[in-house]
Amino acid sequence: MVTASAAPPIEGRQGHYAGAVSRLVAFAADVGASWGLFTLGAAALAFTIQLVTGTNFSLTRHQIASLVAAVVWEFVYFAYQWALSGKTIGMAVLGIRVVRTDGSPIGARQAVVRTLTLPLSFLLLGLGFIGILTSRDRHALHDRLAGTAVVYSWDARAARLRWLARQDGSAST
Amino acid sequence: MVTEPAAMSALPGSGRVEQLAQAVAERVVNMVMDAIDIDALLERIDIDAVVSRVDVDGLIDRVDVEKIVERVDVKKIVDRIDIDALVEQTELGTIIARSTSGVASEVLDVIRAQGVGLDDFFARWVNRLLRRSSHDLPFGPPTLVGLHPARAELTAGGGG
Repeated sequence: MVTASAAPPIEGRQGHYAGAVSRLVAFAADVGASWGLFTLGAAALAFTIQLVTGTNFSLTRHQIASLVAAVVWEFVYFAYQWALSGKTIGMAVLGIRVVRTDGSPIGARQAVVRTLTLPLSFLLLGLGFIGILTSRDRHALHDRLAGTAVVYSWDARAARLRWLARQDGSAST
Repeated sequence: MVTEPAAMSALPGSGRVEQLAQAVAERVVNMVMDAIDIDALLERIDIDAVVSRVDVDGLIDRVDVEKIVERVDVKKIVDRIDIDALVEQTELGTIIARSTSGVASEVLDVIRAQGVGLDDFFARWVNRLLRRSSHDLPFGPPTLVGLHPARAELTAGGGG
């Protein structure tokens, strides 16, 4: 017997425009993941330089170099993943992905333009993101400029089956 | 010389002849039908021999399976399946649980479902503030969700 101990996952959303919360949480996860990886990379670089040359090296002492490295890393992090699969680590966790406005997979050009225009949405006091809530097709400013859209990509039907199976399993034990 | 039926019926007295012929034909057919013993006839027919003469491979070759599959609305069929009942009444639930019982997948499902729920919550409020109906909004990109019903109606009606 299926019990109502928790709300079942929502069905049939694959391909629908993703909402603001999913996108915001995915972006927050990406910021955390990219900075975590950057910090790890910087520590590994410092360790290697110290091992090879015997001198202490820290990126924090080279502020301009570290800033440039951070900007380049962020660009590579987002552009590479979007061009490769249409989703970043955070987006994969939240089950969303970037596509062209017609729904086809994005190419390298859209990935690069989207990455370059993403900061614009922040620079306009965050107003670039308002479109996710207010526009008919949930487009942010950088989506409009790059010709992209963000959609749900997770298989909610399979998730529902797993949920039902878990409920069934817990009821039988 | 071949005479057209229309020309024949135009001849004097031809209407009566036609009626007579029709009545005779009906009478003869009824008599023949009454005289035939269908059961006896069927008993004399060797069904196996008839079936063996049918070229099944040729018949299958003439069927355009792709066209038939194209006409089947799989989504509609799947939608009609009562998944809850299926999982409850069969071993499907156990099989799925065995294959995908990872804690990670459970956590991901919960996070994603919560995300979609909150997305809907905020979307509902924004739609109320903007005084618009969610039914008038497109679900997603056209190639992923198909034409939105409202837009399809507009297109069919020749509207903008």
